[in-house]
This record gives sequence, structure tokens and C-alpha cells, in this order.
Amino acid sequence: MLGLFKRATPVADACELGSSAVALPVRSGCTVPPSYPVVIVDERGSTRRAGAAAAKRIELRDGELAYAFHPGPYTVDLLPFAGAPEIGLRTRFAIDAAEPQAAHQRFDLYLSSEVSGRLGLDALTAAMEGTLQRELQEGGLDLPPCASIEEWNAFRLGLNQLLYMRFGVTVDDCVPVDLAGSRDYAAMLAARAVRGDAAVPLLAPVAAPAAPACGVVEPAIADARALRRLFLELPCLMCGLRLAALPATPEQFRQQQALLQRLDLLSVGAGTMPTLGLAAPGQALGAAEQGRRARHSRRATVSLDEAWALLARLKGAAPALLAPLYDEAERIVANLEADCEGRRRTHGIDAAGESEAA
Amino acid sequence: MSGLLKSGLPASAECRSLLADGSVLTVSATRRPRAGRAEVKCTAPGDARLAERMQEVVRLARHTERRFDSRDQVVIGIDRAPAAGSAGFGRDWELAVVLADRMVRGIWAPRGAVVANGWSDAWHLGRVDGHAVDVPPATLPAALLGGPGGLAHLGQLSGHPDPAAAVSTARAWFPLHAGGIADSLCWVEVGVYPVQGAVHGAVEAPDEEQAIAVPGQDAARQLAVRQALAGARHFDNGQGRTGGVRWRTTVRFGQLHFQGRSFELALVLADRIARGREFLPRGRLIASGQSDAWHAGRVDTVEGIGPKCALLLREAAPGDRILLPQAWQDALPEGFAPGVRALGASLACVERIGII
Repeated sequence: MLGLFKRATPVADACELGSSAVALPVRSGCTVPPSYPVVIVDERGSTRRAGAAAAKRIELRDGELAYAFHPGPYTVDLLPFAGAPEIGLRTRFAIDAAEPQAAHQRFDLYLSSEVSGRLGLDALTAAMEGTLQRELQEGGLDLPPCASIEEWNAFRLGLNQLLYMRFGVTVDDCVPVDLAGSRDYAAMLAARAVRGDAAVPLLAPVAAPAAPACGVVEPAIADARALRRLFLELPCLMCGLRLAALPATPEQFRQQQALLQRLDLLSVGAGTMPTLGLAAPGQALGAAEQGRRARHSRRATVSLDEAWALLARLKGAAPALLAPLYDEAERIVANLEADCEGRRRTHGIDAAGESEAA
Repeated sequence: MSGLLKSGLPASAECRSLLADGSVLTVSATRRPRAGRAEVKCTAPGDARLAERMQEVVRLARHTERRFDSRDQVVIGIDRAPAAGSAGFGRDWELAVVLADRMVRGIWAPRGAVVANGWSDAWHLGRVDGHAVDVPPATLPAALLGGPGGLAHLGQLSGHPDPAAAVSTARAWFPLHAGGIADSLCWVEVGVYPVQGAVHGAVEAPDEEQAIAVPGQDAARQLAVRQALAGARHFDNGQGRTGGVRWRTTVRFGQLHFQGRSFELALVLADRIARGREFLPRGRLIASGQSDAWHAGRVDTVEGIGPKCALLLREAAPGDRILLPQAWQDALPEGFAPGVRALGASLACVERIGII
């Protein structure tokens, strides 16, 4: 499964680093200027930073990949609500130098588990926007109409925490902006009317980050990517849950222990997941069942996203507010279990039940 | 909904639907631990195909939700099989099934009993295409009827625009004080669609106020609506775009006859949401306020703080956003703000509209 990511790295245009690209793969033998940190991802997906020599010559072992990234700062416009395209958040963020205390740099993990090849600024922005929109929709963050200054500050704190937890980026500055100059909602609506196919929502808020990205890709590749995420991120999530969610009561301590145990089992399960295309050794699985398995693994990555967002909320939560967050954690773990179980099965519970709409 | 503990959810929910002959059909939904079963189970008396269609409808409608909980199974039952007839009568129960499924999971928390009729060919988009039964509005004002003019989209339950439609329609609610027992929340709906001329740059755009229609209201109310919207849009344009008329606007009210101008803040905010220029609340937007200077974005005070606050405490649901004039800040009844927060709604007293 990990062999998929061992393809030869394309020649990258180093000039776009820092403007339209955030991170680029570098080949062994290249020399990288000292201002660009280098992350090396080994065969098993674990990461390390290349030494801080004056000008680094990258030497890679077999199976390793190296990324050079520009720490920023970058300025992007995030759309907090898909249904309100004329209002945005102008956000300036940077990728910090390695935190010496932390065992895992979150940005390195993001590179190793979700990025294959070049990480463009537009791809990172889209991922950040999707995360933000989902949190706002589910109520993890609140940005209501006519927000007062206290509500705005609470939102900013939550946003900083969310983007740091999920992508390892630090938000320097974030202000609401009027995007009417660059986006014309009237023209977008008119385009919808002209196209006349209301069946394709222009601003699909439903499963926006997952569906378009993975729906077109071949299921085998999407599935391999999803399993890679599960394999790499579950141990880090457990680590985060131990640190972030300090239990307030003995019941919560037991709850946390049970959650960690279940995550542990899931992590083992993700590492031993059967191949997508085989029902048994030497016995191929039908295309429909393969599609079902790939859907389950995709849904599991949605749960991973939710889990990172939940960790961000747990980090700053008052003890009195922990109970609903623990309930949310149980929901996410239960969903992960259900999807991993579905990914493992060779046939759905009932044929009609697993078929999807579109 | 994530703030809700599971214990806060209802154990069962009921939703009714009218049949062609005037009798009533009841859809009931319950939750139980899933234990490895399918996430939805449907039963219909002696009709396996109907149960299959119910399950399909519920699963399709759940595609419009983002949050998924694999811990529960929802069991939905229908108490009688509707006669399969022409013109959608065989499918008019679909909306009731979808709503019962949402109610039992706490995604939608209506007050009182619900009667709903509607069918759709695109539940996965949350669209409701129409209804078959003919209900006189006088006898059943609270009935939810699917289709244009009624409930055209599931997001409309909390006033949100349909992300797939070419007409952007948003609702906001305002409290109506009618002497205690008859106090109620009334909605105002703003639908905007782009003026072709503004898009293609050729046709001369009409006057801003001319392009606002308020069907069914008297001349004074029409004038008040037009002036409020034109003023608020002027305030908006002052911050960014200038230029011709971009929208043709239709404003509808939930009730035809009422007094006063306290609907203005709700109207202005619904208009901003419909034009994609305002943050969206998770639930409904409930506002009370008027202004003599919408062109400056100012919000002035209105009357009736006592009864309106009492009504809001009764009606607020999780995710709702309540906006009141700044002048009410210090005069709010004791326990009102904590009470609203305990219900899961949020409250702000505002001096001006706009971002921060």
C-alpha cells in the first residue's frame, strides 16, 4: 500500500515556493537554501527535519521522500460559509519552525499523510476552508450574524486552535473582508439559472472536501490514501487525546481510557487492513464491493478530520464543558469503528443498504 | 447539535400527514442502539415496497446532513399504507418521514405537533418538489406543505438559502406581540434573483425600489419594506460595490396583518443573508428592531421588551441567533440571557448591522 507513494518526484519549479506553492518535493542530491526547512518522510511515513546546516544537501535513503517548504507568511481569503460568497476572512498564516518539545510536528504529519507531490497554496486553502466550514456548520465554532467583539475573539481563539491542530499552521491575523469586488453572487446565481441543472449544487456544502477530491480519483488510489491517513494519524490522535483531554472526574477518566483502548484497536486494525481488491488470498472482489470498501475508508477520513477538530476544542475547554465533548469523541470513535469494520467486510450488511445516492 | 447530550434527545417523535380523503396518517420514529444493524429501519403495514421506499427517502435526505452518528438505529413506522394514486398522492408522506427522522435525532426541534405533506425527486439535495393534498390554509395554518410557495428546501426550516437554486431565498423571524396568549414568531422571507441586465451589462436596470415586490401587503407596508431595504443596501454599497440594480426582490410575510415596524431588522438581515453577505446562523435568525437610518446601518429600539423576551424564551431552539436593539441591553429581564444560552441559542444586542 505504501509503495504507491514511491513514485519518482517530478521536476519542481522552485520559484513558486512561497507564492503559489507551500511545499515542494525535492530529490536526493539537491541543495536547499537554509531559509527553507526540509521535511524527510521515510518509508513508514514517519518524519524528521533535515539538519540546520547553512545550505543543506539532501541525501535520501531508499524509499524516503523530502519536501522543502516555505514558512510563509501567506495571506489567503477563506470563505466561512458556502452560502455567503461575498463575505470572507482574510487570514494570514505561517508555518512555524519546529517546536523542540513536540515529538511530532503537525505540519510534517500533514505533509506525510495527506500530501503526495506538490502542496499548492490553493490546495491548502481549500482544505482549510472545508475544515472551517464544517466546524461552523456543526457548531464547534460560532460566527453568528452581527457578532459582538467577544464572540469574534472566541471565534479567533477557536480558529487558531483548529488550524494549528489540523494543519500545523499558525494564524497571525484574520479579519472579515467584503469580497464583493472579486466575487459576484448575482453572477453565480445567474450562471446556476442558465445551466439549469439544479442537480449539481454550485456551492456544494455537503461533504464538500471529501466527495469532489476523491470521487473522481480511481477508488484504489483514494482508498490507499485514506488507509495511509488512518495508519499515520491514529497514533498521533491518541497522543493528542491523552494530552488535550485531561479528565475532570473519575467517570471521565474511565471514559478516556476506554476511548484510548478502542483507538488502539482501530490503529492496529488500520495497519492490518486487507487489500481493496481481494476477498480472500487469490480471490478477487467485485467492483461494487470494492467501491463500497473505498466509500467506508473515505468516510473514516472524514471522522479523522472531525477528531482533529474535536482535539482543538478539547484543548481550551473548561472542565464543566467536557461532558458533551466526550460524547462527541465517543460518536467519532464509534463511526471510525463502523467504517473500519465496513472496510474489512467482503460484503455489505444488505445490498441496498450500502448503496449511495448518486 | 454537538452541544446536545444524548440524554437531551427525544426518545421518539411523531409527524402527521394528510391523506387524499382528509384522514390523517401518522409516522412515528424511535431510536435504539444500533448493534450492527442498518442505520434506518422502516416498517409499513403489509407493504414491503412502501417500507423500502421509506428507507430510501430517509437515506437520501440524510445526504444533506454533515454529522453522522453510527451509534443509533432509527426505526420509522407508518400506521397505514396510503393508497397509491395519481398526482403524487402515493408519495405525499415522504416529507413527514424525513422530518420524523430529523426530529428523533434532535436535528430539528419543532414546537407542538407537526403536519407535513410533500414529495421530492431530489431528497439528496434537500429539495422538496411539491405536495398533492389540498389543505385550506385557514383550517391548518401550521401544516408544512412541500413545494414552491411552501417548504421548497429542507434548509428553509431554519431560513437558509437553497445552495442549488438560482433564486436565493432566506427567512428570518420576528416576535409579534398580540397581547399575551396570541404572541407568536412570524417569518419574513426575502427572495432575490439576479437582474439579467446587471449580469450581461446591456439592459438598463430599473430603479432599486421598483425592483422590490411585496405581494399581499398594503401600500404603507410596501413602502416601509422598500425604504428599509433600499436604505440597508445603500449602507452595504457604501462599503464596497457601487453600480446598478443587481437584484429583483420578493418579500413575503408569514402573516398578512400585523402592526408596527419591528420586523425591519429581521427583514434587513434576511436580505443580507439572501444576497450572500452575512454570516449564517446555525439555526433560525430571530430579530426585533427598526431604524430611521438604515442607510447608516443603525438599529433603533422597539417596544414590547417584556412580552417579546418571554416569547423568545418559549420559542428559542438550539442554534438560533437572537438579535435585539442595543437599547435593550440594560433593560433585559433578569435571567433572560442565561436562559437563552441554556437553550443553546445565542443573543446579542446590536447598535449597527454589518460585520463587527
